[in-house]
Amino acid sequence: MSISPERETRELRLQQIRREAELRATSISKLPSDSHMDARPSNGHGALQDFEPAASASPQTGYYGMPLLKTPAWTWEVPIYFFVGGAAGASAMLASVGKLTGADQRMIRDARWVAAIGAALSPPLLIADLGFPKRFLNMLRVFKVQSPMSVGSWTLVSFSSAAAASAVLSELERRRVLPRIPVLTDVAEIGAALTGLVLATYTGVLVGATAIPVWNAKVSLIPIHFATSGLSTAVSVLELRGHASSALNKIGIGATVVETAIGASLEFGKEPATEPLHHGPTGWTMRVAGLLSGPVPLALRLLSLTSPPRSPRSVKLRKAAAISSIAGSLITRWAWVYAGRASSKDPKVPLQLPGPARPDAEQIPQDK
Amino acid sequence: MSVTAFLTDSTLCIGCKACEVACKEWNQVPADGFDFRALSYDNTGSLGHSTWRHVKFVENGAVPGFGGNASEVFSWGFSSDVCKHCANAGCLEACPTGAIVRTEFGGVYIQPDVCNGCGYCVVCCPFGVVERRPEDGRAFKCTFCYDRQKEGLEPACATACPTESIKFGEIEHLRDTARERVRDLEEKGFDDVNLYDPTDTSVGGIHAFFIVRGDPKTYNLPPKPEVPTTYLKKGWMSAGIAAAAMVAGAFLAFTGSSDR
Amino acid sequence: MGSSMAENHPVGFQWVVEARERGTKVLHVDPRFSRTSAMADMWVPLRAGSDIVFLGALIHYVLENEKDFREYVVNYTNASILVRDDFRDTEDLDGLFSGWNEDAKMYKTDSWAYKGSPLKDVTNSGKTGGHAKDRGGEKLQENIYEQDLTLQNPRCIYQVLKRHFARYTPELVERTCGVPQDVFLKLARTFCSASGPDKTAAICYAVGWTQHSDGVQIIRAASILQLLLGNIGRPGGGILALRGHASIQGSTDIPTLYDILPGYMPMPLFAEDADNLAAYFNHHKTKTGWWNNFDKYFVSLMKAYYGDAAAKENDFGFTFLPRVTGDHSHQGYWIQMADGNVEGLFVMGQNPAVGGPHSRMERKAMAKLKWLVVRDMVEVETASFWLDSPEVGRGELNPEEIDTEVFLFPAAGHTEKGGCFTNTQRLNQFHEKAVDPPGDARSETWFIYHLGRRLKERARKDQRPRNAGLNALTWDYSTEGANAEPVVEEVLQEINGRTLKDGKLVAGFRDLKADGSTSCGCWIYSGIFPKPDENVARKREPRDFYGHGWGFAWPADRRILYNRASARPDGRPWSERKKLIWWDENKKEWTGFDVPDFTVNKSPDYRPPENAEGDDALGGDKPFIMNAEGLSRLYVPSGLKDGPLPTHYEPLESPIRNPVYPAQQVDPGANRLERPDNQYANSPDERFPYVATTYRLTEHHTAGGMSRYLSHLCELQPEFFCEISPELAKQVGVEHRGWVTIVTARGIVEARAMVTSRMPPIHLNGQTVHQVGLPYHWGYKGLVKGDSANDLLALSEEPNVRIMESKALLCNVFPGRRERGPRALKQLENAMRQPTRRRMVAQ
Ligand SMILES: Nc1nc2c(c(=O)[nH]1)N[C@H]1C(S)=C(S)[C@@H](COP(=O)(O)OP(=O)(O)OC[C@H]3O[C@@H](n4cnc5c(=O)[nH]c(N)nc54)[C@H](O)[C@@H]3O)O[C@H]1N2
Ligand SMILES: Nc1nc2c(c(=O)[nH]1)N[C@H]1C(S)=C(S)[C@@H](COP(=O)(O)OP(=O)(O)OC[C@H]3O[C@@H](n4cnc5c(=O)[nH]c(N)nc54)[C@H](O)[C@@H]3O)O[C@H]1N2
Ligand code: SF4
Ligand code: SF4
Ligand code: SF4
Ligand code: SF4
Ligand code: SF4
Ligand SMILES: [Mo]
Repeated sequence: MSISPERETRELRLQQIRREAELRATSISKLPSDSHMDARPSNGHGALQDFEPAASASPQTGYYGMPLLKTPAWTWEVPIYFFVGGAAGASAMLASVGKLTGADQRMIRDARWVAAIGAALSPPLLIADLGFPKRFLNMLRVFKVQSPMSVGSWTLVSFSSAAAASAVLSELERRRVLPRIPVLTDVAEIGAALTGLVLATYTGVLVGATAIPVWNAKVSLIPIHFATSGLSTAVSVLELRGHASSALNKIGIGATVVETAIGASLEFGKEPATEPLHHGPTGWTMRVAGLLSGPVPLALRLLSLTSPPRSPRSVKLRKAAAISSIAGSLITRWAWVYAGRASSKDPKVPLQLPGPARPDAEQIPQDK
Repeated sequence: MSVTAFLTDSTLCIGCKACEVACKEWNQVPADGFDFRALSYDNTGSLGHSTWRHVKFVENGAVPGFGGNASEVFSWGFSSDVCKHCANAGCLEACPTGAIVRTEFGGVYIQPDVCNGCGYCVVCCPFGVVERRPEDGRAFKCTFCYDRQKEGLEPACATACPTESIKFGEIEHLRDTARERVRDLEEKGFDDVNLYDPTDTSVGGIHAFFIVRGDPKTYNLPPKPEVPTTYLKKGWMSAGIAAAAMVAGAFLAFTGSSDR
Repeated sequence: MGSSMAENHPVGFQWVVEARERGTKVLHVDPRFSRTSAMADMWVPLRAGSDIVFLGALIHYVLENEKDFREYVVNYTNASILVRDDFRDTEDLDGLFSGWNEDAKMYKTDSWAYKGSPLKDVTNSGKTGGHAKDRGGEKLQENIYEQDLTLQNPRCIYQVLKRHFARYTPELVERTCGVPQDVFLKLARTFCSASGPDKTAAICYAVGWTQHSDGVQIIRAASILQLLLGNIGRPGGGILALRGHASIQGSTDIPTLYDILPGYMPMPLFAEDADNLAAYFNHHKTKTGWWNNFDKYFVSLMKAYYGDAAAKENDFGFTFLPRVTGDHSHQGYWIQMADGNVEGLFVMGQNPAVGGPHSRMERKAMAKLKWLVVRDMVEVETASFWLDSPEVGRGELNPEEIDTEVFLFPAAGHTEKGGCFTNTQRLNQFHEKAVDPPGDARSETWFIYHLGRRLKERARKDQRPRNAGLNALTWDYSTEGANAEPVVEEVLQEINGRTLKDGKLVAGFRDLKADGSTSCGCWIYSGIFPKPDENVARKREPRDFYGHGWGFAWPADRRILYNRASARPDGRPWSERKKLIWWDENKKEWTGFDVPDFTVNKSPDYRPPENAEGDDALGGDKPFIMNAEGLSRLYVPSGLKDGPLPTHYEPLESPIRNPVYPAQQVDPGANRLERPDNQYANSPDERFPYVATTYRLTEHHTAGGMSRYLSHLCELQPEFFCEISPELAKQVGVEHRGWVTIVTARGIVEARAMVTSRMPPIHLNGQTVHQVGLPYHWGYKGLVKGDSANDLLALSEEPNVRIMESKALLCNVFPGRRERGPRALKQLENAMRQPTRRRMVAQ
């Protein structure tokens, strides 16, 4: 008697279901008797696991206060990527502008390398965050202007190659391993600077142009915020590498002034969508980030001006400012990403509900 | 190929969850946890990576404006939620891999063999529908039963629904049906029925409309969903300004300092 | 009422939704607000166990306001018939009818007869259940009676009814059911408005009515109401018993019940039915009406069972049939089992360790068996009671000391075998096998056939008289496939029946004979397989609104029973809108949309000649052909054990004393089976102040074997919960989703609290009665586990059909989880002793 292939698949499927049921059933029933109530298998995953529902569903609470949006799946890699990418992109820009304006060669070289190293670190971070990393290259299947993620992927690829090329080529040139090929190096250099600028800013568009209220409410600000904090980081890294030109300090002062302004605007510009920036752990994180990237380094930098440039005191103060900025910048990305997570759990804004946020909506969730 | 749609009419829904189960069975979607959430009889919570149809339960006293029909004493409303298959779909626009496509039936479909799990669609859906499945890494949501539609079958959920609370059909026709139904219900004295189909927002209308009693907010249906691409202009503008300012600042600093 | 149709019959409920869309009013009377209530136009909560008062008041309302469909009532019911002069109503005897014998704890029913009906001389010990055609009805010749068509005679049933239900006022409803009078009256007005030539109303019920100690009488009350309103035998009318499991209807037609044979013929009783076929016929064959064919159906059944071994000389093998020797109902034999009197048990497609009443006791009873065979698709709790039941954890059972040998056989599911289902509307549908069963799983037919074959082989070698039946049994089905599966179509053909001379399939039960020349496995199914190539049950081409052409509805593919009542006495339809069948004056036959439930050429003006028998003895205007008088019975002169009219008695455990008949608290015939392991609370009882009721969830199926092992269903309702009102939650001190412990006089369970206004407290005359709702699907195996609500029930028996009372009992609720292990027993003991909550904790 022959069985049709169709029927065979069906039977295989049935067997599969049975086996699954059996496995599950046996793994649970191995527990000692009468304690079976404790053996309830619980949700292994799912966004709502840690969620205590509200008492009712109503136009005032939404559906039991359940989140309306999905929580970003992004884990720690993403804020770090934002940080690294931002610093790298800004560095590439500094290298280019520095070169055009005849800045210190060593500083330019270091800036190139910062960009290159950032360029090397960024893709792995991004890939690590993918749910299906093997398919990273699918990012390059299409180019979609309307998708910041797509624009960003192409940017990252171009930047990584350009920054690496720029650093390697100029290094080889410097060591005279290669003859000077101006077109190639310059193209790489300019390419890295231009894509670096996109890299340092697109991430702001990436988070801003989403359905997450706290992000899209600040879509005009986040790119600037990210760019500034990337620039601060780039400058700070160079300063930590020992570059103490007052140009860098000026840039640093400019960036921290902007940071301070942004911090103030975030602190005082309250609207329902930005609640996670004001309350709870995400609020405090953002505040700390703001202080560390704005007023604190600004004050240190201004203080450093009271001593002669390159004097030990001045250098010390600038290094302190640099450390503060770097930390602030990193925490800034963290704060934004986690503010987004908190925001996604609060249905109040998408439902346009009045009233205070659910108290537990702002907690920083634990990654698993 | 005609564009198809769902009309989910909660005045006909008996909360049997057959749609939820039929969807899982047909699409071989795993169970996603045995949690006693007890949102009334709902232990699922919301749509997600492994719940593509989700029946919501709303209990209320004799408050006009809530589901159920015996609302003189008490009311209990059921409504089966699903991906809205937006006309301007945030998820589709956002997807960097082109995994999300619009099918010939107008549905929004994730090609599971293309998705790389970047997670961007997740934050770009204004209805909180699509989600990454942790064990798998890819994003999942209702396929609009693309495979069935291709074979000329109705979606599994609509087929399973005993009361025709889930209607499936050609979109324009169904929109008319929906409007007629609302009129009809109003005539019957249901003064609180609402058709949820946000055509006047940037989402530009959806392919899965709902008739609910009372305020759609009760069912977590947002009054003004926006497709996130609307924020792009502002975002890129800000990015441009930031880039320009950075370059200008650097120029000024380097040129304006003797100590470079 | 007594059904949550949207939840438990969702597919059927689509038609209710459809009807509602077309303007039908849907009314739901149920202690809790369910998904069905949500779809209803009106929901009326009542105290569990008070339905007869509610229905009685509706009857009262109809009679009082003369809302009855008089022409129907006079012509088609026994309203005009007089009752015997010595009949006394509960009104006269404080809650008992005449004939009560306190010693025997049963009625002598002679006085309930129609005035003028001669009594046959037969006795009835009342030992059996009442599933068969009129057990006890055999005593009367109900075609002979006195009558007053003006309904004025005080002894006529209409007047008896009026007096009997006079007490059932809206005020009593308020006091007993907790339904405010205005709410009741609004419902009464709405329901009764759907009556008359142009309108009908249907009542759907299920186990919310049956599983009471007076369950049968609740349904009787509904019948009276529907008959008064003219809602039986007409389209859109009826009282629809929504049956349970797939083919549970089939399993009463071709019964798994102990007291009947296929086609509702009574199983012979030991002693009373003797060994004498003539005497048995004398009991059960009526002179008039359709049951006059009793002998034809019975002899044909014997021929199907025993073939040539059933001959006229040996009373067609009457002695081969087993006899009912006592109470072999579920509760009856479980009591026997608990006492160690049962050696072995087959459990096929059942999970009594979870779904049986007082499942705690039932699990312990199984440990007294020598052997237990379980056939199921999964390892259900019943198969593993010896290993992981709570009793093992509590030290009541010790696996090492249990001698029961358990055989678990894997069963094929319904998609893995061909066969029939008979569903709720008596529709039999044949289905094909979709996939082969996995591994060693086999169908029921395979198991029974091969078991029978092997038993017969053994019996052949052992010719003791006790084996005569087995040896005589025909057991010669052909088999097919590698597993030697019996051919199910052959079984269906045997059920259809044949003329034995030529082996031809009969066209229907009218072809059956009492002389042994025909065989038929179940007369009501006759016609299901009329030709070798025509399996009507397999047909899938509906021709009309009533679904003819799709499957086979017994009897004779009739979709509405007693449909002669859909026409006026003169044969014209009651109305154009409600026409179903009618008399075609030209063709001189009954015609219409359905198969007439009437002799096709019997004209409306036919009047039986003197001494006519059987169907011929019924006039052309007597639609209820199964009754000897051709009329439907508002009052039941015989056949019931607890009275000719429904009377309100309280559940075996009740929070109040019976407000209707204070002297008679519970149904006098109900069997409490009270013993140390099956105790009851008092009524009322301060230790157990709350009413508990049990029911189902859409997401699970009964004892869980078919749902708790499927992840897609488990996730929808993962935990055992109890539904309580916010008021009770406050009183108990528990919050939504918190834990509570529930105790009754039998058991202790823990559950999560579902605090909801869907389970409202009931107010009776200033007394607040809290109700606790318990879905009963959980057990100690499966993907999701939980305590079994049935640990709380008592083993009890309704007098007629011996069902347990699962819908109204008394309990107490405490905050927090129950104790683990033996301490749980201690906790239960304490709850039995002490009325206060504080001293609840063990030790
Ligand atoms: N999803 C699902 N469907 C099923 C089943 C299942 O387990 N799951 N089981 C099948 C089976 S075997 C059966 S028998 C049927 C049973 O079908 P139903 O009889 O509908 O089942 P239940 O839910 O047990 O009880 C019905 C209703 O009776 C109410 N009730 C309780 N006590 C009383 C009372 O004293 N008076 C009144 N008027 N109502 C009362 C309950 O609140 C409940 O709403 O369902 C069948 N269908
Ligand atoms: N408290 C309370 N108790 C109740 C009720 C109530 O309302 N309240 N309702 C009562 C009612 S109405 C019923 S019907 C009972 C139900 O109680 P049970 O009949 O004991 O419960 P089920 O879980 O339906 O058991 C059926 C078993 O058959 C198995 N099965 C399914 N198909 C097949 C097959 O083809 N072959 C074989 N061999 N096995 C198969 C299933 O896996 C399942 O384990 O519960 C009763 N108990
Ligand atoms: S509802 Fe969300 S997931 Fe569905 S199409 Fe719209 S944006 Fe995409
Ligand atoms: S997760 Fe998959 S479907 Fe979603 S945006 Fe990324 S690639 Fe596209
Ligand atoms: S259309 Fe298909 S995939 Fe979408 S919810 Fe319905 S059954 Fe599921
Ligand atoms: S299947 Fe239909 S009736 Fe059932 S829950 Fe889904 S939408 Fe409602
Ligand atoms: S489970 Fe089967 S029998 Fe029950 S309602 Fe659904 S289709 Fe009908
Ligand atoms: Mo049942």
